[in-house]
Amino acid sequence: MRTVLGLLVLLVVAAAVSAQNPVIAPLPSQNAGSVYICPMDPDVRSNSPGNCARCGMALVAGLPDPVEYHLHLDVSPKPIKTGQPADLTFEVHDPWKDRPVTNFQIVHEKLFHMFVVSQDLQVFLHNHPTLGSDKSFHYQYVFPKSGMYRILGDFYPDGATPQLITKTVIVPGPAPKPASLMRDYSPKDAENMTVELTTDPPQPISGFKSQMYFRVKPAEGLEKYLAAWGHMLAASDDLIDMIHEHPFIADGGPQIQFNVIFPRARAYRVWVQFQRKGVVNTAYFDIPVKALGQ
Amino acid sequence: MYQCSSTISRKLTVLKNNLGRSSVKRQVHFACIVIIGMCALAEAHDIVTTPVTWDREISRIFYSRCVACHREGSRAFSLMQYQETFPWRTAIKEEVLERRMPPWGAVKGFGDFRNDQALTPEELELLTSWSQGGSPEGEEKDFPAKDKLNEMMKESAWFDAEAKASHSARQPGAIAVKGDFKLVKTFNLDGLLAKSVPPGSYQIIAELPDGRIEPLVWLDDYKEQFGHPFLYRAPLELPAGTVISGIPPGATIFLLPEEKK
Repeated sequence: MRTVLGLLVLLVVAAAVSAQNPVIAPLPSQNAGSVYICPMDPDVRSNSPGNCARCGMALVAGLPDPVEYHLHLDVSPKPIKTGQPADLTFEVHDPWKDRPVTNFQIVHEKLFHMFVVSQDLQVFLHNHPTLGSDKSFHYQYVFPKSGMYRILGDFYPDGATPQLITKTVIVPGPAPKPASLMRDYSPKDAENMTVELTTDPPQPISGFKSQMYFRVKPAEGLEKYLAAWGHMLAASDDLIDMIHEHPFIADGGPQIQFNVIFPRARAYRVWVQFQRKGVVNTAYFDIPVKALGQ
Repeated sequence: MYQCSSTISRKLTVLKNNLGRSSVKRQVHFACIVIIGMCALAEAHDIVTTPVTWDREISRIFYSRCVACHREGSRAFSLMQYQETFPWRTAIKEEVLERRMPPWGAVKGFGDFRNDQALTPEELELLTSWSQGGSPEGEEKDFPAKDKLNEMMKESAWFDAEAKASHSARQPGAIAVKGDFKLVKTFNLDGLLAKSVPPGSYQIIAELPDGRIEPLVWLDDYKEQFGHPFLYRAPLELPAGTVISGIPPGATIFLLPEEKK
């Protein structure tokens, strides 16, 4: 019993020390000298060069000022017709003189990642326009239905910071009903695995970090997809918020953890992608987010 | 901090005395309460868990996005110094995530505006990380140089003053639109100005005679007092017969023409 009491005293002392010295060990960025930062995950930093433990990208020295590049999207033919191929052309321009940008860094094995989400949240696409000789990115896509689409471009101009820019395309015709999302955490049977979701807290709170634990079954044969153990896109039901994340903790085992801060108290649809035995699995879950104190 | 230390010291003394004379069950119970109390004390401070600092990232965002209004002598409290900003860290996070600040009032990526003041996803992530991670000040050497600060403030001030002064409903050639409206001749649209918009979210579009649909602006929680125009990066050529739609009842949208050079 004395041991138990001793431990309790030690805990009290530890808590007291914690209260007196609230700042934990200095983070790399608080030390003198160069800081190496992951361009994709800006919270991953080191005092020495290397690769990001989360996404594998090479860490870069220093910190370029975050500036927003211009992304022009042209869709032809005009007007866009459902069910017919449309050519999407993305041009990137610098923010200073609007000059075309021609040099890009590879991010997760690709120069350009594109996400397409329809107004009713029924259409989801993650693919990769290719760089043409005209230094624009091209992709041919068949819009399956009329209405609004939000298109998220994810790219990394040389010497800048990674860019995540949303564009809007409206396909003429009757607009689909807006999405009405109810909580859906049920396990999903994807291409060659089942994906389960739990979150901490059980109902995420807007503005606060939510831990999202995905369990895949079977986990045997799980592979990295585009240099990450998983990819996530979260879209609010009104399509204003579009969040692209990679796992916070994953090691090739059955559990993959993402940390997400949902900006607003409303429902989000979250798509996740995991690769197993060469097959990309896509599953989605609907997550109502509440405000603090609700 | 001294108060905190002496409180802890007193509690330890009490605990020590208690451990000597009470039953084991009561001792454990009391110790648990003290531990919880200590944890609460520890939470009263901000524990730094983020590498994002005021001196390096956050000051740059504030000086280029916020200080046109948030500075001494202006209409809102100052956010130019770390000491002024720190007490507002939680409110700042909430305001930016809800898109109430900066007061832009339109959804990003619906229309392409040269005076877009909405924060980028990267800026939102940095602000959230800083706010949640203890809001550290950082190191003075990382704070932007004075000429850089002036450059950022100039950019911020342009949004607040120059854009409003040079683009208004009284601009020659501006067209006031209520409800659905059909253009009778070609109009080179440089921007939009919104008046009397009721609370809510409204997608304003242009339906061109050839069937194309151009997103013009997605007003979201736009307020009259914002008063700024939405200026396109490149003028939109809207041919005769184009229908402007999506304007809510009671609101007026002014179509601002491209300035003749």
